[in-house]
Amino acid sequence: MKIKSVKLREAHKGSSNASFCSISWDLHAHHLVTASSSEPSISIHDPLLPSNPTRVLRHHRDGVTALALSPNSTCLASGSIDHSVKLYKFPGGEFETNITRFTLPIRALAFNKSGSMLAAAGDDEGIKLINTIDGSISRVLKGHRGPVTGLAFDPNGEYLASIDSIGTVIYWELQSGRTLYTLKGVAPDIGSDTSTLNALSWSPDGETLAVPGLKNDVVMYDRDTAEKLFTLRGDHTQPICFLSWSPNGKYMATSSLDKQVLIWDVNRKQDIDRQKFDDRICSMAWKPIGNALAVIDVMGKYGLWESVVPFSMKSPTEDIPSSRSKNNNGLLFFDEEDQELSMSGSLSDLGEDNHGESEPPSRKRLRKQSAIDDDQHEDVYDELSFPKTESRKKVHRGDKENSDKQKDGLRSMMAFRPKMQEAFQPGSTPPQPGKRHFLCYNMLGSITTIKHDEYSHIEIDFHDTSTGPRVPPMTDHYGFTMASLNENGSVFANPCKGEKGMSTLMYRPFSSWANNSEWYMRFEDEEVRAVALGATWVAAITSLNFLRIFTDGGLQKHILSLNGPVVTAVGFKDELAVVTHVSDCLPSNEQMLEFRIFNISKGTQPFKGRLPLTPGSYLTWFGFSEEGQLSSYDSKGVLRVFTSQYGGNWLPLFSSSKERKSGENYWVVGLNASKLFCVVCKNPDSFPQVLPKPVLTLLNMSFPLALSDLGEEALENEFMLNNLLLSQIQKRIEGMAGEGLDTTSLDDEAFDIEAAQDRCIFRLIASCCNGDKLVRAIELVKLLSVEKSVRGAIQLATALKLPILAERFNNILEERLGSKTGVSTSLPSSKHVPSIKADTATERSEISEPIISSSSAKLSAPLFKRKAKSSDGVKFGKQKTDGDQTANLEDRTAGPSHANTVKEEKKLQVQRPSNPFLKSTVK
Amino acid sequence: MAGQSDPHISLFSAEEVEFMAEDELIEIVPNMRMDPLNFICGDFGPFLPQIATQVPLWLAVALKKRGKCAIRPPQWMSVENLTRVLEGERDTQGAFQALPFHYVEISRLLFDHARDDIPDMYMVRSLVEDIRDVRIHKVETSLEKFSGTSAVKIPNLSAMEVNIIRPFVGRALQAFYKHDNPEKIPDVDRAPSGHTRVANNEPRRPLRR
Repeated sequence: MKIKSVKLREAHKGSSNASFCSISWDLHAHHLVTASSSEPSISIHDPLLPSNPTRVLRHHRDGVTALALSPNSTCLASGSIDHSVKLYKFPGGEFETNITRFTLPIRALAFNKSGSMLAAAGDDEGIKLINTIDGSISRVLKGHRGPVTGLAFDPNGEYLASIDSIGTVIYWELQSGRTLYTLKGVAPDIGSDTSTLNALSWSPDGETLAVPGLKNDVVMYDRDTAEKLFTLRGDHTQPICFLSWSPNGKYMATSSLDKQVLIWDVNRKQDIDRQKFDDRICSMAWKPIGNALAVIDVMGKYGLWESVVPFSMKSPTEDIPSSRSKNNNGLLFFDEEDQELSMSGSLSDLGEDNHGESEPPSRKRLRKQSAIDDDQHEDVYDELSFPKTESRKKVHRGDKENSDKQKDGLRSMMAFRPKMQEAFQPGSTPPQPGKRHFLCYNMLGSITTIKHDEYSHIEIDFHDTSTGPRVPPMTDHYGFTMASLNENGSVFANPCKGEKGMSTLMYRPFSSWANNSEWYMRFEDEEVRAVALGATWVAAITSLNFLRIFTDGGLQKHILSLNGPVVTAVGFKDELAVVTHVSDCLPSNEQMLEFRIFNISKGTQPFKGRLPLTPGSYLTWFGFSEEGQLSSYDSKGVLRVFTSQYGGNWLPLFSSSKERKSGENYWVVGLNASKLFCVVCKNPDSFPQVLPKPVLTLLNMSFPLALSDLGEEALENEFMLNNLLLSQIQKRIEGMAGEGLDTTSLDDEAFDIEAAQDRCIFRLIASCCNGDKLVRAIELVKLLSVEKSVRGAIQLATALKLPILAERFNNILEERLGSKTGVSTSLPSSKHVPSIKADTATERSEISEPIISSSSAKLSAPLFKRKAKSSDGVKFGKQKTDGDQTANLEDRTAGPSHANTVKEEKKLQVQRPSNPFLKSTVK
Repeated sequence: MAGQSDPHISLFSAEEVEFMAEDELIEIVPNMRMDPLNFICGDFGPFLPQIATQVPLWLAVALKKRGKCAIRPPQWMSVENLTRVLEGERDTQGAFQALPFHYVEISRLLFDHARDDIPDMYMVRSLVEDIRDVRIHKVETSLEKFSGTSAVKIPNLSAMEVNIIRPFVGRALQAFYKHDNPEKIPDVDRAPSGHTRVANNEPRRPLRR
């Protein structure tokens, strides 16, 4: 057996002596709640970001002995030594009410599966059943002779089981409040020690009740008959003090007074793993999603035991049996909160939306796994193949439950299915209790908010304090959760809040000649999901998939219907880009997204298409570069930039996996043509805090190039990047020229890039020559834009003693010169151009043979060429004239028309610029 | 210790040493947009909001005074590092811990002008002061053991410390020299700094003004 050690962290500093502590997960595994009976505070931890401070609730006046979370995790109940039971909203932790009081300390609390009823018990006699909706006590169950230490509602809602400190277990029928069975002395008598409490637990399917036994074991009792079914006995050397079923009921965790925690495979009745701790573990909770167990010991130290169940076995959260009900929103009295939660988009939102559609596949899955196809109802039981002793009464259950059960089963399956990602604003960070967070952060500035009790406090800051407008902070009574910022103004929106709360959109210009130029829009039965801001317009995309466009004065200008639920939207000058879902995501966990670019002022849609993402990732940032190129960044750290090449495509321009130094996450803020601006966050944080002010880091763009045999990744990358820049600039120049604007500055820029590109190509040629990649070198030479660089390349090739290559380079240069001069000089008739080309071509073929035989007149034309060439050769370097050409020259000079040619040469050299003219005239 | 006000025995005043230290580079985070600055000592910038860049300390302080930037305290100026250095200084009697040559001046300038940019300002300040005290004490005690030599080598001594002991050491070495060679008597008062260069091999920079 592997020895893994679980590190425990202190959650509660109690007194030095042992005291009972409790721990509990919320439904989505976003929070861990802990409490200790030696301390009056309750802590809500965030297990994902341990750096976040825990929220501490201090309402009790004495140690907290019991915690219970309602099944939908919207309500937290706590019981204390101070005799009171309090209710809080969850996860906010706002104190709600003192729901009941006892005369003695509370020891146990439990919600029923719908959350409508809370059972509380303790050292008093009598278990109180409290209606959580109005706080009325619906029943008091009396029958225990000792302090009640454990309560458990049957998941099917018929029974309540309770256990007291002297070891008596009672089954209560909830309907009538009668005692069904009393099992005396089945559990250990723990006496008056309050640091351990007898616990008991129903299996998630409600078929068995697990109770600590007298022989350091766990005894399973039948649901309906209370007959002893079987026991789990193993290596515990002292009585068991806590037990917990895994969410699917296949495993059980037990902790004993011997400080061990054992994990059991319930079906095989065997322990599969164990861990020894320094102190007694007094409470445990299985993570509702995943494979982990949260434990807390009597000293108030808690920890998370990851991968409890070996990977070879089924996950403890796979195939959750369907009798758990979460569907009825039982907790009516927190309705408002509930709604707010789902609106602000914890995952319940989308989960509900696509619940219907996803039903068929999941049902299939369930069926496949259990291999019985006639009845869903049967399947569940088959999976938990218990010894057949219990299989008598189950047929009994009503059919109405059956359908409920199916639904719930599917519901819990949802947790493992990939989800469509929610709508987000680029540059926002998730809200953190008690801290400021970003609603919007871009290259211009930031909008931050912090929530106080009744209102939020919003601040707008510009990075450039010298030129940006100064915006006074504002108090926000709407609770805005979305915002966007540009130099002219800011737009805010909130989701629906509560029952009456309507979704509101607010625009606030930074400078306006008129007073009160901010405006509000309200939406009924519709909520804003994303906002974007452009030059003179505001866009809001709502839950009805409407794209609403307003002018900055507040005029409602356009309302368009989009194809699917929005993911995000972003504006830049005239352009608005919107990302929407195309469909539910693929089973391979790929989001199916689509983007559209709208030009608001022209009323056109220049581009639309699928938005590519790295497989298994989701979109985390979306925006325009400083030059207006649409860009996206996904959760796997790949930046893509949209280009109009090939009819509109996304180019992967950066990958954090290549760049990443270990332990760093990049939170993208913006980019320009060659750099990516981001905030570097140290792991495990994936986003920055408002304070200290984040500082931007510049990262270089890089194509995900294949490892070339040339080994010049940096150069190749630069080469591709320059190509991209050139194409972008050319497109802009065309665009501007089309509008009749002055393009000189862009031309200059293009020229600079061309020059840089030539330098880059030149270095690539050098490395190609060195690496003996001659064909590639030729290709590169053809890409050089300036003749001078070609000459440089020739020189280089000769210097490297590659005469064949130099010759080819030379040909390329000639070809280019020929075509260029042909085009640039305005010949009287265009038909001369081809003739010249032909001429150069013939010349090339003639190049190695002496031409003395031809007449001087005929000679002059090629001669010029050659002369120019050879002078190039002389100018550029060295052995150029070594080869055929020197031979040619010698031949020529030796020829009969010696004086003539020399003269001719001189003349030609003088007239060099107008040479083609001359050439054509000579002809 | 040699008095700093007397020009005959102290080579530079503390202000002058500080002035020299202002050439050290430091990272700032500007909150304005500005084109690159071209100085004789080099080009600095461009300045873009929220993007860190390196500038000389004097420029950083000037910008900070105008509220145009935040200064990022240098790496060594963290509580952890300073605590470590202080422990090191206390533990090893003979040697000095590695600190920037101008650490006294840099920290002084930052404490004066950028106190809001230094996390745990009071802690850092008291640590730097402690380190300085410990080191100066060490310098003094090591000078007591000074005996007839022609050169003294103390690695990692900082500018301010050198400046303090320079006149004394210079004169002391001269005196030793004089006693060793009674026939060649150099004029001590006219050339107090001339031949002796104590410790650090840092070349002296000419004054800018």
